[in-house]
Formats: sequence, structure tokens, C-alpha cells
Amino acid sequence: MSTPVYIFKRILQALPLLFLISLMAFTMLKLSPIDPLAAMRANPSVSQAAIQAEEERLGLNKPAPVQYAIWLTSTLQGNLGVSTTGGSVAVRLMQHAGNTLLLNIVTLFFTWLIALPAGVYAAVHRGKFLDKLFGLITAIGMSMPTFLLAFLFLMFALATHWLPIGGMTSSDFAERDTLSQILDIAYHLIIPVCVLTFVSLAGIQRQVRSNLLDVLRADYVRSARAKGLSEEVVIYKHALRNAINPLITLLGFEFAGLLSGAALTEMVLAYPGLGRLTLEGVLTKDMNLVMASIMLGAVMLITGNLVADLLLKFTDPRITVE
Amino acid sequence: MRYNKGLKLFSSFAALLCSGVLLNSCIATAPVKTSATTAQPNTVEKVEPSINSTVHYTPKQAESTKPPFLFPNPGPFELVEKDGVEYWQARGEVGKFGGSLKLGSFGGGPKTFNAWDASDVESHGIGMLQFDSLVDFDPWTGKAIPKLAKSYKVSADGRTIDFVMRNGLKWSDGHPLTVDDVVFTYATLIGDGFGETSSRDTISTPGDYPKVVKVDEDTVSFRFKKPFSPFLANLNATMVAPKHIIEPITKRSKAEFHNFWNINADPKTFVGSGPMIVERYVAGQRLEFKRNPNYSFIDKEGRQLPYLDKMVIGIVPDQNTMIIKFLGDEIDLLDNRSVRGIDAALLKQRELSGNFTMYNLGPDDGTMFLMFNLCQRKDPKTGKPYVDPIKQAWFNNEKFRWAISHSVDRKRIINNVQKGVGYPLSTNETEASLYLNKDLKPIEYDPALAAKLLAETGFVKKGDELFDAKGNRVEFDLITNSGNTGRDACCITIKEELKKLGIKVNYQPIEFNTMTNRVHTSLDWQAIVMGLSGSRFEPYGGANVWKSDGRMHMFDTRLPDKNGLVKAPDARPWEKEIDKLLDTAAGTMDEKTRIDCYNRFQKIAYDEQPFIYIYTNMVLTAAHNKLGNYKPSPYGIYYTPKGTLHNIEEIYIKGAKH
Repeated sequence: MSTPVYIFKRILQALPLLFLISLMAFTMLKLSPIDPLAAMRANPSVSQAAIQAEEERLGLNKPAPVQYAIWLTSTLQGNLGVSTTGGSVAVRLMQHAGNTLLLNIVTLFFTWLIALPAGVYAAVHRGKFLDKLFGLITAIGMSMPTFLLAFLFLMFALATHWLPIGGMTSSDFAERDTLSQILDIAYHLIIPVCVLTFVSLAGIQRQVRSNLLDVLRADYVRSARAKGLSEEVVIYKHALRNAINPLITLLGFEFAGLLSGAALTEMVLAYPGLGRLTLEGVLTKDMNLVMASIMLGAVMLITGNLVADLLLKFTDPRITVE
Repeated sequence: MRYNKGLKLFSSFAALLCSGVLLNSCIATAPVKTSATTAQPNTVEKVEPSINSTVHYTPKQAESTKPPFLFPNPGPFELVEKDGVEYWQARGEVGKFGGSLKLGSFGGGPKTFNAWDASDVESHGIGMLQFDSLVDFDPWTGKAIPKLAKSYKVSADGRTIDFVMRNGLKWSDGHPLTVDDVVFTYATLIGDGFGETSSRDTISTPGDYPKVVKVDEDTVSFRFKKPFSPFLANLNATMVAPKHIIEPITKRSKAEFHNFWNINADPKTFVGSGPMIVERYVAGQRLEFKRNPNYSFIDKEGRQLPYLDKMVIGIVPDQNTMIIKFLGDEIDLLDNRSVRGIDAALLKQRELSGNFTMYNLGPDDGTMFLMFNLCQRKDPKTGKPYVDPIKQAWFNNEKFRWAISHSVDRKRIINNVQKGVGYPLSTNETEASLYLNKDLKPIEYDPALAAKLLAETGFVKKGDELFDAKGNRVEFDLITNSGNTGRDACCITIKEELKKLGIKVNYQPIEFNTMTNRVHTSLDWQAIVMGLSGSRFEPYGGANVWKSDGRMHMFDTRLPDKNGLVKAPDARPWEKEIDKLLDTAAGTMDEKTRIDCYNRFQKIAYDEQPFIYIYTNMVLTAAHNKLGNYKPSPYGIYYTPKGTLHNIEEIYIKGAKH
């Protein structure tokens, strides 16, 4: 089977999956006993007529299956609807998606930049001091709640005045020139990237280490060493190449996560990302917004898996897409 | 007038951990900035340090009958004519032009920039910065004073109110602001029900919306069939709209008006009459305002205000982060409701080294209370009663409610939960209200009296458990919204106290929107601790809550029928009397009658205890000392972001460069 046909088949398979995801998400949201107009209802100066007008406008007074049908048809037509907190869902997602994407790509870059060499080093020097140190650091990263880590960084920023306290840009951002704007964003990204990198470092560093350890025990590595090849060639040419496959699958998942925000970190660091937007949407039952966000996540996950499978095919000649 | 929603998420944990442990330890080691600005002349320090220097609860403060004024009343505004324009003259010191004021806003940001379509506090507060009203409150007396108007006059029969406009007013785009704008706003925009229609109900009673008539080029007249006294107090919340911009939209449809100036609108199209106009909105990050060059205020040297060039409101979703930003100088002012009890002591320690000042504006107008579901009706769909009949009988017994009221240790809750930042409350109007009935005695913590009251009405205590006359164990479910540390701790205190009486309380915090659903729609609840905000100037603002057919008559909600109408044929005699008192008070301009009605209304609410009031917050703000002319006053508090910045036009940054 040629690659384009394979991709086409995978997309066809994904459609019923997406439909089921949307149906389940919609049902669960509808069943939750949350009042989407709570803020209005809890305001003594808002009249009954105003609440009814808002229900009418958002279609909340229709039966749930009808609401789902309306949502489905308009989404298929490319219209994601309006958010209960004002504005169109598409615009709001777009505004936040870029920020999340930027944060996640930079985080992904630094995570792999550190995790790969650290994992290889730890595997090669198993049981040595540095291996144990990496093990300790990643254990802390895995077990520390992200929001706590974020707060610690904010305290550090407050104490030293070296870093900005949350946010993504300075208050005079709009008046700056382009270079200064880029530097400003980079300056503001330091804390969130550090937090998220530290947290996700553990998984990948440990994965690299254990994969490489498995491979290093394999027969062909022993053969290569027996042939008298240098240790560098054995590790980087023979072992590492064979240890890379599970990492590519992992990279596919990481791709899926590019647009899913780290809600707690974003809340604490006042970072305008998708996670925060979606979380606020869930808490206020902002149907259109949450549905769009869930579907976006589902599409990203399916695409990520597909990309990972294709990458595997290219890196490993033993794998075919039959 | 909203729920004091408080913190949403995980703050209980984060707040305790952070404010308590981390912040204390980390900040203590932070380098203390030795700043030159402390040496600058500072008007703030001169004023009443006795009130200002402590934020902790002291009985003396709580018993005072007058809200604390930190600054002396500068007297009424003076009208100054210059080049054919009638300006109000600012009353503070002469300041410096230029600079930017940085604020933080807690939450997700505004929902709309259309001030006439706003149903949330923040959008409305932004509208109040962009637009002025005909009248405003005097921050020192609470009386309605003319703002866009030059003067107003209420006719002898109280049915007609005439406003004379100031000459030479201009919108921020240079277009003249005239009587026509006023007539358009009140006759068409609000009168015909564009946008958020509730504003109609705050300035009129159903069926008697005033006729808005242009008398001459300077005068506009509002004519009612019957007097409606809350009109003037509520008028400042509905702003005058620019006819030349909005009239074309109102010629189309109401749906289109809803999209007009929504949060994705281009700020270049914004036109206003207030001191500050929105210049840029960066979603999820910040809102930037620029000064209105045509604002109709001047300083004592005759220079046109505002002093500030810009105002930047950063959107900060977490309250702890906001405090850290303030300490780190990224925010100049922590306004009303940004300083919680747990933060106050911490901030107080940092006041000198951080070069800022805290301001205590006394009790808030909002209330925190415990209420029982008094509903005795059946759900028409299932035929079952909303509340278990056994429990109905307890909740509807006012001696039971009084017993609970006497077992709430209000002072302990304030000291332990609010860290002293609050005032015990026994009445529906707080001490901030102009109309508080001062004859009502504070309800004392008295467990012995509570036990006696229960015994008198047939409850029997066997061992550690309380039973009613029919032998049912007394227990009920108590809920509040999760994530609000204050309310959570308050509920736990109540649970402990009631255990002493033998009452079992099953306490569970739930999500705010879920709680609202139970209170207003499913009516599936027994007891709740929650908060409501009130009004300092007009108790009629609570009509929606107190009238038996009110939409928010929460202790006994009567659901609307198919047509959205609420009927209350089964209202209790005291509910009916409150209905009548509120209507009488609103229907007369005679101040003595109004005071009598409101006193009687509070007495009934006190005697019946449908809401068991617990405490009201202390209004605290903190401002960096570089802010000039920052003079917060208990009667000059608006929806945030306007907040305590009642004189935003004359606020300036010391050392600002123009």
C-alpha cells in the first residue's frame, strides 16, 4: 500500500472515532449539573427576561439532542459558534492557540535537547554518580505538583527581580520595536518553559535510558564490541538507532499535546494559553468552547499518532504500512 | 450586586501553602528595596493614621456606626467655564501629566465592550471608565451629584426629574455630546430593550418606564406616572450612549446590537465620554486604555484632565499571583476584593519596605450568610416535595433558625477564618449602608440560649444527638462553593458548633455554577453558605432577593411559569409585608417614609432570620506610594476595574515623564 492511500485510510477510520468522541463529550457536559448562566442568575440586578433572552440566543432552551444536532451541523460547516463569555469560539481559540503552541514547541525543544543526551549518558554510565543524580532530579520533576513549582519560580522572580512575574508580554509591549518584542516574549517564556521542561523531562530521559539499556544488552551490540568497534560507534551507530523507535511513538504523543495547555501552570503564571481558556470553559459549561477544544485535542492526537507511524516507517525499514 | 464569587480553583491549597509558608519565607529573604521615592512628599501618610495603620479587626471599629473616611470631604465640585465649555474642576492637588497606571484584574477578562450589553461586573466596570452618566455618587456623602448634567431637579410630586446638561461637552471623537444623546439612550436604547434589558428594571418599575422628553437644547426631562425613588441612585450605572455611533445599529436588529463592540471589536471604533477609552485588548493578557482628550474635567490650574496617559489592566487568573505581582511592582494598585483576609497581614508587614500603603475603607456592602431552603411546595413534574417534609418543618420554624443563629460564633469566624478582616453581621443591611436600622442588636453567640430555644419548640437532646418532637434525628446537608477558603472554613466552623447542639451537618463544597443551578433551578438543597453583594445607597437594590415573587428569593424560590412569570400566592404574611414595604419605600420621594419602611423591613428580616447573616468583608486596598491623589472613599466604590478610582481623572504618577 502506498503512503497516500494509507493516510487516506487512517483518516477515514478516524471520522467515526471523532463522531463518538464528540457525542460522549457533549453528553457528559450536558449531564453535569452546572448552570452556564450562573453568573447572570446570581446577580440580583438581572431580570428574568434578560436570562430568557440569553438562553434563547445561546440555544440553551432547546432539548439536548437538538442542541447537539445544531452544534454538529454548524461545526461541519466550519462555524464553531459563540462562547457564553463573549465573542466567537473560533477567534478565542485562535487567540490562545498561538500562545500555547509557542510555549509547547519551545518546551518540547528544550525537553528533548536535555533529555536525549542525559538519557544516553545515564544509560552508558549506569549506576555512576551522574546517573543517580539525573534519577533524583527526574524523580523530583515527576512528583512535584506543577503549580507549586510555578509558584516557587514566581517567588524566585520576586526575590531577585531577574525575571518577570507571570504573563506573556510586558505592559508596554505594543510600543516596542519588533526585536524588543521578541526579546520580551523570550524573557517572559523563561519561567513557564523551565516549569514545563522540568516536569516533562523525567518521562523522556527515563525512556531514553531504559530503551538504550535494553539495546545495550542485545546480542548484536556484543558482536559489535567483539568485532573491536570503538565504543562511540557501538553506542551511536548501532545501539542508539535501535533504541529510537519507542521514542518516535512518544514524539507522536508529544505532538498531540502541542495544543493542549497546561491549565494549572497557565493559571498560576497568568499565561494566556488554551488550557486556562478550556478549564474556565468547563467550569462555566461553555459548551461551544469546550466542545471545540476537545475536538481540537482529539484531532491533534489522531494526527500525532499518524505522524508517528509514518516517521517509524521512514526510520525503520523493517516497518511497512500494510 | 453579585455573588462574591471568590477564588475558583485550588486556591485553598495554593493559598495556604503560598501565602502562609512560601511567601513569608521567600519574601523575608528578598532584598528590601531602598527606594528614593519614600523621601518624596506624600499626602497619604498625613491622613488619619489611627484608622489606616491597622487592618486587624478591633471591636471599636466594628461598633462604629459610620464608615471610616480616610480623607476629609473636599466639598462639592465647582463648575468652571472655559472657551465655552463647562468643566468640573477636580478637587485634589495639582498633579503631573503623563505616565501609565498598572492594575490587575482577577478572572478571565471582559465579556463585551458594549456597556449596555454587559451582564458581568468587569465589562460593566470598563463601561464606567469609558462612559460617564448624568449623575454620580458623591464619594464623601453618597448623594447623587450631577456628572454629565450641570444640575438636576426633582418635581414636588416626585414624578418628574429634569436634568440640565453642561455646555460644550464632547465625545472622545470630537462629536458634541448633547441632550439628543441622553434622549436616544433612555428612550430608544434602554427604553426599547436593546442589550442587557435588566437596566430598565433598575431605573423603573414594570409598566412605568419614564417618558424621556427633550425640553429645550439644554434640558431633558424624565416623566414617571408614579414616583420611583431608587431612580437617581441607580442612574449612574446606566451610561449615556453616543447617538451618532449607536443609532444606526439600533435601526437594525437587537441581535446585531449584541455583537456590537463585542470583545473582538476594533478599539479604534470606540467612542466614549469617560476619562479613559479602551485602546487595545490582548486576549487573556491585558487591556490598555488611553486618556480621553476631550474629557470634561480640569485641574486647579485649568488644564484638561486626566493626568494619566495610559492605564493598563493585566488579566491575572490567580489571586496569589496578583499579590506577588503587586509586591514585585508590576501592579500599582490592589483594588477592592483583591486583598483577602489571609493576604492582609502579610501585606501589612511589607508595607514600609515595599513602599506602598494599605487603606481600610470599613465594612463592605456585601453579606455572607447561611440560609435554609424554606420551600414547602412540590415539584410539579415528579409530585414530590422539593424538601423532605420532616426537614421542612424544622427549617420553617423560626425558633430553629434563631437557635442556629445564636450558635454561629461570628467573632470567631472573623478572627480565625477572615484573619480579623471582617465585621460580624446580624442584619441584611451592613454598616456601609446609608439605611442601616441601628436599633437592631447584634446577635450574640450563645449556645445555651440556642439549646433552650430548641427545647422550647419540642426538640429533644438524647446523649450527643438531637431529635425533633416526632423522634427524627436532626441532620441536614450544607453546601457552599468550592475553592473559596473563607467560606469553606466558615462551613466547618458552623458544622462544629452545631455538633455541640446535637445537630449533624453533612458538609460538602461544590462548584459555583453547580451550586447556582441548585439554588435557582433544581431547588435541590437544604442549607447553603453564600454571599450576596448589596448597595450602600439603596436597599431597594435587594428587591429581587426579598420580594416574594423576586427571581432571587433564594430562601424560598418560586420558579417562573411557561411565560417567565413568578407568582407567589402562598407567600407568608411577613413576606407579603416586606413586599409592601419595599414598594412603598420605592414609590415615594419622602425620605422619612422611606427610612421608616426600610427600618421596618430590616426588623422583619431580623425577626424571621430567613438569612442568618454571618459577616461582611472589610474593604481593603493597597496602593504604591507613587500614586498621587489616590483618595479612596467608602462611597466612591464601583465595579472593578473602576473600583476605588472614583477620581481616576486626577490620579497621577509621581515622577512621571510626559
